[in-house]
Order: sequence, then structure tokens, then C-alpha cells
Amino acid sequence: MPQQQTLQPDDTSGTVVKLKGKPLFYYLIKQWPFHLMVLPSLVFLIIFAYLPMGGLVMAFQDYKPWLGLTGSEWVGFDQFRYLFEREDSLQVIWNTLIIAIFKMVLNLFAPFVFAILLNEIRKQLVKRFVQTLVYLPHFLSWVILGGILTDLLSTEGGLVNRLLTGVFGIQPIFFLGNGDWFRFTVILSDVWKEFGFGTVVFLAALANVNPSLYEAAEVDGASRWKQTLHITVPSMIPIAIVVGTLALGNVLNAGFDQIFNLYNSLVYAKGDIIDTFVYRTAILNGEMGFGTAIGLFKSVISFILVVISYRLAYKLANYRIF
Amino acid sequence: MNTKSKKRFAFTLCMLLIVSAIVGCSNSGNKAEPSNTANGNAAASNEENPYKEKYDPPVTISTAWGVDPALTFREGETIENNVATKWALDTLGIKVDSLWSVTDTNGAFATKMRLAMSSGQKMPDIAVVNDKLLAQDLIDSGMFQDAGALFDKYAGEKWKEAMNLDPGVWNAYVNDGKRMGIPLLDYAYNSDYLLWIRQDWLDKLNLQAPKTIAELEAVMEAFKNNNPQGLAPDKVVPLSVGFKTSMSTWMGDPSWVFGAYGTLPSQWNLAADGTLEYGSTNAGIKQGLIKLKEWRDKGYIPQEAALWDENKTSEPAVAGTAGIIPGPYWMSGWPLLDTAKNVEGAVWKPYAIPTGEDGTAMRHGTHFVNGVILINKDMKNPEAFFTYENYLFDNLADPQEGSPFELGAFEGYDYALDASGNPLYLDDVPGGAITAPLRYFIVRDGARIPDAQFKALLNLAEGKEATTYREKEVVAQYGPETALAATVVMQQEDISKKDMFVGPSTKTMKSRMDYLKKIEAQTFNEIIYGAKPAEAFDEFVKSWKSSGGDDITKEVNEWYSNVAK
Repeated sequence: MPQQQTLQPDDTSGTVVKLKGKPLFYYLIKQWPFHLMVLPSLVFLIIFAYLPMGGLVMAFQDYKPWLGLTGSEWVGFDQFRYLFEREDSLQVIWNTLIIAIFKMVLNLFAPFVFAILLNEIRKQLVKRFVQTLVYLPHFLSWVILGGILTDLLSTEGGLVNRLLTGVFGIQPIFFLGNGDWFRFTVILSDVWKEFGFGTVVFLAALANVNPSLYEAAEVDGASRWKQTLHITVPSMIPIAIVVGTLALGNVLNAGFDQIFNLYNSLVYAKGDIIDTFVYRTAILNGEMGFGTAIGLFKSVISFILVVISYRLAYKLANYRIF
Repeated sequence: MNTKSKKRFAFTLCMLLIVSAIVGCSNSGNKAEPSNTANGNAAASNEENPYKEKYDPPVTISTAWGVDPALTFREGETIENNVATKWALDTLGIKVDSLWSVTDTNGAFATKMRLAMSSGQKMPDIAVVNDKLLAQDLIDSGMFQDAGALFDKYAGEKWKEAMNLDPGVWNAYVNDGKRMGIPLLDYAYNSDYLLWIRQDWLDKLNLQAPKTIAELEAVMEAFKNNNPQGLAPDKVVPLSVGFKTSMSTWMGDPSWVFGAYGTLPSQWNLAADGTLEYGSTNAGIKQGLIKLKEWRDKGYIPQEAALWDENKTSEPAVAGTAGIIPGPYWMSGWPLLDTAKNVEGAVWKPYAIPTGEDGTAMRHGTHFVNGVILINKDMKNPEAFFTYENYLFDNLADPQEGSPFELGAFEGYDYALDASGNPLYLDDVPGGAITAPLRYFIVRDGARIPDAQFKALLNLAEGKEATTYREKEVVAQYGPETALAATVVMQQEDISKKDMFVGPSTKTMKSRMDYLKKIEAQTFNEIIYGAKPAEAFDEFVKSWKSSGGDDITKEVNEWYSNVAK
């Protein structure tokens, strides 16, 4: 391989300065074994992530499975128009936003605080025990939790309502049949289920804080509270930004399986979200074009939000995720 | 190693990786069809008369399964390979080839079928589908053939007779004048319902069974506030109904309340002028809703009825805290048989649907079609399927003495023989009975003649001894009151109203029906729960009509005038 021989002198000392003067494929040729090793994962990504994106054209078609992507009739933006023409579409989007945003904020805030509190516990055994205990609900499926919640929150002998009437003397609350209480229940139960998971992430961040910072603070006479405020919290901010930014991508996902297992026609006005709406109109009716259109709509919104939050994080906190 | 050979080594390694990746990916794509030779032989003799009682060499029928999660198997058997597939091969020379199977929860079968269709996978020779929309999509795909023509050519007498009980069964699957699917027959009156009432409660209170809505209210009042079982009023569910899925459903159903006011919700009824009308928009609904609200306020129906689905309504009934539950005749077996285990002396008896003040009553009727059988265009031996199904219709559907299915489907599965040759059923079968080995057949439940079950039941109700298998089966496996319930259902046959629209979804239905159903469910529940006044119903009708309902009504009537001819 004579060509390689001539390239040999440059070798690893190749820096940015040199790169400028070289042709485009210079390093590709020079470091070809490494590029070749990346190839399989690149192929994988193209096949399973990029090629399927071609299916997005369904959003602009009246897709019929037996006609395929090429044979189906083109309908332009009809599917999107239909999404916004439905009398209840604004309400559905609004419901989704409210539920999702509350979940997002609380699911960031609750584990943040809980992780700090948990970190103060001296007894390792207790700490681990509590950590595992709050983490467990994360592994339960909403199908099961839906049944449990329905029983717990029942107005006829449900544990929660018995407690409310027995101890506090309040009239039974129809948690799953009243729109506002339904939202409250959905958000709270989701936070209860997921905050343990978030806590684990934050605890990992806390483990990485340099102990010498605390030692220095103690020498300076900072109290435990001051240490928390000036060392613990600031060192957790970056990871909080990462978690928050990634969560923003889900702003139009209010949690299909949860709502689907809990909702009923009494709470349609305040509990019907985009995903349940898609399930009923697109999946049950086999309207794949419509389903794809909504999926695309959601992805575009999420993408914009992620980009914005990424820029903001960089500008305000001078923190880059990628 | 010098640099050069290192690079060589790296290169080889990379190439190996890539090649193995490519090979790994492409391997699954093109498997050769191994069954070509066997089919070739059969095709040669096809010319004279392809239909045979037994095929030698065996022919293959491929199919796909949606397995009921409650279906059980003997150790080592699966839906792909079990006593029924062995039976088909041994008796008929038909090999059942399973393309795939899926546990059918939450419509998993329909989803998988749709995915198979969109990804261009091989379609089964025989597809048994009970999802109406999916069936229509499959028919529209053009991958299935004119089943009606094949049916005329190959179907046996018994099957044809069963089909002729109602020639309208084909209507739902007619496309361009061709019968694209064979309706899957089911027992008639399977979801026609009546009221199951706790007879022991009635007796203790010295009450007569209610004949009208007003009498029913008196009974519910007594059940609640003067409970013969000594239950506190707030522990009793006098009438167990639920609206979670719909106002018109199969157990714990509230639709007969509207029936007393002359309409049935969520279905297309024949109006006075001969056109079809959507029941939920009829003025009678308003009165029914007011009545249901009153009942909920008084605690006659569950406070959380809006959250209750069918199975939930059966819970208080089985627990012994419910007094009345509306449902089909077979409920005496499941689930009500278990009530006596929980409450000693509990007795359920069937009673007719109560009438309104003017004697009006309606209940939703049963189409005895429970899905459709589609035959693949490329199926090599469609006649083999008819051999299979004819055999089941002749021998299994109403087995007479001497039939191989005289005692049940398969020995050691749903029945067993004791030492002296007498059949044992249910818990007496060693290892426990498989409750539904009939589900192992390609066509769900094997073969059902719509009126067979009811004929048997009515014979029994007259006091005849059980002679045929069907009669023995209902004695052995159904609840004690099933025969009586059948006569109650028959007494009220004239109030049974079927959904008159069975055609494919119309254009406007596809785009608007979900919204219309949503506002329907929302309005009805909000009125019952007092969140809105009863006048909200009038607004609902107005917006129903303007939001596409009028167009749908027009399309439905166009369809109706075509089939009614």
C-alpha cells in the first residue's frame, strides 16, 4: 500500500491547524480502520432510525396498508387540518399541556428535594432502604396501578375516602369522576410513581460532589444549611438542567397508559389527552395517516422546545449538555 | 506485528464485523417455502374433484391465532400444536400451519394483523376476524377472495342450513355484490338479556318480581332499605349496572331503561317512517337519563357506575351484595353460579325486562354473527378448509349419538371417561378440564348452529330428558337456571331489536364517529351525575346532527335502502 506509506509522516501529531490545509477525506483515508469500526453502528442507525423516518410521508397521505407508501393517495395537509378542525382539539391539546407541564415540574422538583433530604441521612442502611422503597413503584405498570387506584379512591368504601370522612369529616371526593380532581389525581399519582427514579439520578450527582468543598466550608464555619444552599444545590444544578431539558421533549406526552387506565367519559372535558385521542381515532380505526400526522406534530413541537431549552441552558447557566 | 500487518489485521476484523452484520440482517428475510412438492401432487389431482373427505398426502392450511388469555393448554401443547391440530392431520389429512399467534388482550390480534398487512408479511390462508373495521380493511386490501362462491360450491348441507336461518348475515361482508367473507355463526340470543334477580330476597320480602319500571323501583327500594340479608343500605347495590364502555353492552347493561321509553342507545333502530335512526338521539333517551339520575341519587345503581365495566358489575352480584343484574341467559353458569359460595342460600332467577308505563319495552338483540372467515386469494386448497369445517358442522355443531364428538370435544380435555365408560366433566376430569378446547379449532368454537343451543334449552325447559350432546352439555356445564332463562328470553322475543346497520363504516363515520361518541358518552354521564341539567340532551342532539350526524344518517340510510331491496 504505497499511498499509506506517503501519509505516514504526519501520523498522530495531526492537529487542527494541519487539518485546515488537508483535503476533506484526508483523515478518513488516514484513519480508515477506525472509521470502518464505526460503520456497523452507523449502518444500524441508518436502518433503524433514519430509514423509518421515510414513513413520515404517511402524515400527508390517506394511507392504506395494502397500497403502501407509494400507492396511497396524497392528501397534503388534510390530516393536520382535521386535527385542528375537531371541536375538541384545542381542549385536548390544552389538557395535555396542563397535565404534562405539572408532571414535568413536579417530577423535577420532588426528586431534587428528596435527594437532598435523603443524602443527609447518616445511617446507610436506612438510606438505601428508603431509596429502594420509593424507587419500586417505578416498575409497576399502570394497568395494575390503575386498578389499585380505582379501588383506593372509590367513593364507596375506598380507603382514601374513608380516611377523609372518618378523620377529617369531609364529604367523599369523587377523584376519578370530577375533572379537576382527576387532573390532580393523575399528576400526583404520576409523581408518586416516578420521583423515586429521579431521586436515584440526583443521588448519583450528589455522590460526585467533591468532599473537600464541604471540609473547606466547615473550616469557614458554614452551618449544615449553608453548606446545602451553597455547595449541594449549585452542584446539582447542571444535572437538573439535563433532566429538565430532556423532560421538555415530553411536553406533549401526558402519559398515555396512565390516563387510558384511569379515565372515563365523565372526565373527557379535562382528562382527554392527545394520546388517548389518537388511540381512539387513529389506532382503533386504523387511520395510520392521521396517527402519523399527530406523531409528527408532537415531534416537531418537542424538537423546537428541546433546542430552545438547550440554548437557554447554555446562555443562562453556561452549561452544555452535548 | 509490524504496522502493516496490524493494519491488515484491523481491516480483516472490520470486514468480518460488517459481513456478519449484513448476513445477520438478511438471513430472516427469504426463507424458502418447503411445502412446494406436497402441494404439487394435490394440484395434479385437483382437476377432477379437489374436495375430499380426507387428503392424502396431507394438505396445508395456514392461519394466525389470537389466543384468548383464559384459554388453557395441556402440558407441552400450544395453540400451534395440540390435540386439535393432531386430530385434523389424522382424521382429515389437513396440516394446520400457524404463521403466528398472539395473546389476544386489548385487541392485540387486530393490531398484529394490521401490522402484518402493512409490512407486507404473508397473510394466512384462513383469517378469522371479529373486529369489524379490520375485516373491512382486509377485504378492501384485495388479498382475500370471493368466499361466497366457494361456500356455494363446497359447503355441506348442515352449514348451509345454519347460514340460511338468516340470509342477512352476509350483508356486512358484501363488496361489489361479492360475498367476500363467510360470516362466523354464533348462538342466537347470546347477548339478548333479561334481569337476574335474587329470588331469596324477593321471597323473604314477600315481593313479586317486577313487571314495570315502577314496580322495579319498589323492589329496589326494599332491597336497599329493608335488606333481607341484613346489609346496611349503603352496602347494597340494588341494581348493578355500569356505563364505562357504553350505554349498551353485554352484562350490567343499562340500555333497557331507555327501552322502556321507546329507544335503544348506541345502535341504529328502525324509525316509524321506515328509515334508520341513531338510537342515542331519540327523545326517549332524555327520559331514560332522568330516570337513571334519579336512581343514582337514590342509590339504586352504583355511585361509580361511570367507572364500572361489565366485569365490575358482576363483582357485587357474585359477592352477594347486589339484588338485580341485567345480562344474558347464560349468566346462571358464569358468573352467578359463584354467588352461592359466598352467601348461603343465594338464588338467582331470570325475569323479563320490565316495561314502561304504556307497556313499551325494548332490549338490544343479538346478531348471530360473531366475526368473519376470510379466505386468502392465494390459498392453494380452499376446498380443504371446507372439508374441515363441514366435518365440524356435521359432527360437532349438534352431535347426535354415534358422533365422534358425542361426549365432548376431546377426551382428556373437556371430558374424561371413568372405568365404566361414563363421561366425567369439569373438576372430575383428571388434571382439571380444559374449559374450551373448541377454541383450538381454526374457526373459533369449531362450528355453531345459531338455534342449536336454544332448541336444546327449550326442550329441557319443557321437562324433556337430556338426550343429545348439546342438551347434556347445557345440563352439565351451564348454570341451573339456564333453561328457564331461555324461555324468558323467548317470551320477550318481540322486544328484541337488533342494530339495523351492519355495513362497513361510512366515510363520515370514519372521520366523525369518535367525536360524536365522545360527546354522547360525556353528555349522558354528566346528566346522570347531575353535572348538567337534562336539557343538555337537546343541545347534544343539535350538535350531534350538525357535527356530522346528519351526514352519517344519510349514508346509513343509503346503505339500508340498498340491502333492504
